[in-house]
Amino acid sequence: MKVETLIEQDPNQSPGGPSKSYLTRRRALIVISALLLALLGFAVAALNLGSERVASGSLFPALISKLTGTVSPLSREQDVIIFSLRLPRIALAIGVGAALAIAGAAFQALLRNPLADPYVLGVSGGAALGSITAIIFASELSYSVSYIRPLFGFAGAAIVTLVVYRLGRREDDPAHLILAGVVMSTFLSSVIVLMTAMADNVKLRNITLWLLGDLSSGAVEGLFFVIGAAAVGATVLVTQSRALNLMMIGERDAFAMGVETARVRWAVHLTASLLTGAAVSAGGAIGYVGLVTPHLVRLAAGSDNRLVIPASAIGGALMVLIADTIARTALAPRELPTGAITALIGAPVFVYLLLKSRK
Amino acid sequence: MRHSPSTAKFNAFLFALTALLFYVGCGRTGAPTGEAGDRRSFTDGLGRAVSITPNPQRIISLAPNVTEILFALGLESRVVGVTGYCDFPEAAKAKDKVGDTLQPNLEKIVSLKPDLVVVSTASQLENLTRRLDQLAIPVYVTNPRAVREVAASIRSLGEVTGTSERALGLAGQMETRIDAVERRVGGLARPRVLYVLQTGPLITAGRNTFINDLINIAGGKSISGDETADYPQFSRETVVARAPEVIVAPSSHGAEFVKESDLRRDFGTTPAIRSNRIVWVTPDLVDRPGPRIVEGLEQLAEGLHPR
Repeated sequence: MKVETLIEQDPNQSPGGPSKSYLTRRRALIVISALLLALLGFAVAALNLGSERVASGSLFPALISKLTGTVSPLSREQDVIIFSLRLPRIALAIGVGAALAIAGAAFQALLRNPLADPYVLGVSGGAALGSITAIIFASELSYSVSYIRPLFGFAGAAIVTLVVYRLGRREDDPAHLILAGVVMSTFLSSVIVLMTAMADNVKLRNITLWLLGDLSSGAVEGLFFVIGAAAVGATVLVTQSRALNLMMIGERDAFAMGVETARVRWAVHLTASLLTGAAVSAGGAIGYVGLVTPHLVRLAAGSDNRLVIPASAIGGALMVLIADTIARTALAPRELPTGAITALIGAPVFVYLLLKSRK
Repeated sequence: MRHSPSTAKFNAFLFALTALLFYVGCGRTGAPTGEAGDRRSFTDGLGRAVSITPNPQRIISLAPNVTEILFALGLESRVVGVTGYCDFPEAAKAKDKVGDTLQPNLEKIVSLKPDLVVVSTASQLENLTRRLDQLAIPVYVTNPRAVREVAASIRSLGEVTGTSERALGLAGQMETRIDAVERRVGGLARPRVLYVLQTGPLITAGRNTFINDLINIAGGKSISGDETADYPQFSRETVVARAPEVIVAPSSHGAEFVKESDLRRDFGTTPAIRSNRIVWVTPDLVDRPGPRIVEGLEQLAEGLHPR
């Protein structure tokens, strides 16, 4: 396991210069504001792009008129396209990306394992299984699926986290946990395959498409749920980031230095599974974001979790936003599954990182 | 892909089989006409030559639409196996099941000793067809790609099963009803139609689908009618911009895959929602290229052009 890529204690090893290992307030500010600026830029670009053209000059006046209540320069249809379809979808992409990337960063730090991410640990599988259960049995429940799905998703993620944690818990040995996670996620994907094989044709199609990631149904409930989860999750994890930094050296050492390791472990685990549950239930199983984004951030800005966690949030948002914009514009008016695009971007980046870290 | 090595191997196998049959046939010269000699050759919907005994007595259907056709031709007593999806007419449910349409059980099929297996291209069973060919079980593939071709496929199945008279009558009736719909809607303005297979993600029907053909004949024009993919995931923005006048969706599948609330939320500006024109059609009637497709057509025409 390449723990050293996560810790990077020797300043001479990092190509970006010695300053990378020591986080200063100024550098954190620069990194965060640069990422935020990029996210804003891409969000504006994404608002301009879509299967239907809306003159980009009229977007800003339209936004102003929306806020002030004056007459909009857009037609009713254009107004719906921009504000009811495109904008919520962009927001959902940002929320899902942020949630997945924070969860990935948290798992990687906690388990001191570069391969840890919600998918490897089976947490995404649990969330997917919970959501699929909601889809299949929705008709037998009296509530609407859009409310049930996030709840089931979170429940699935939390249960899997608990099971994996119980199975794989060994003091100071993250490998057991990863192993338990791998076993769990393989088992869960078989259960999902079995469930889809038993569901009828139409349900089957619904589930398979949804599994590949779908941000198009901009249901407001899911949107609020995932953005709320991302905000809460990021806050909780940033408060734990100093403890996580110490635990990356080793849990025994961290404990000796006064970190309540057990409490931190639980807090981080639960928060990360809440984030995964929210993201998967709102946007389907979108892969590679949780794995790749934190690595890119560490490569560019060092591995201090106080910066890695918030920077991963913005980076993940950026990645899913770009992928989803490609998904809805490349073959317009046809749409592609967003998860396929993130994998298409993420897999080569990951291979590049692997090759680079070997040199 | 058709000229893969396995096809070559398969051709060699066929050649060997033919040679063997020929040899056996020669050995029997002078004997009263054997089974092999009685067989007639038919060309199926994929252009394959299939040799079938006249009046096959043990027929297996591997698609719900085929089952409906066979029962409509009065072949109920000769059908020995159907799929788990074959639920119409009621009596079809009592037949032996050979698995579902996507994964039929080959051993079960063989054990039922069929003298004819009927496959529909709708169920994408090309691989299975090959296996059954190797086992020398006659497989007839029906391949209707448009509403009027359903009538033609019924006539061909009538010939294959020795029920031509009944098939001609049934196909004729269907064509009369299709003509009647065309006459009725012929002069009327064609509304723009959005067909929704499911919301979340939004799936609609492309150019080469039955549903697109049904919409055209029923006097409508699908807003996704120029899509080359059969069931594309479709942009909601484009739906809003193309402003459909009627939204057509299959009625309940048990769970709500087309959520009316979603349609009303996203497509509120379209003429269809503003004038409250959502037409629910019975999925089995529009999805199965069998005798009941004319009922689906009439239902759709009634929805698009209410009297």
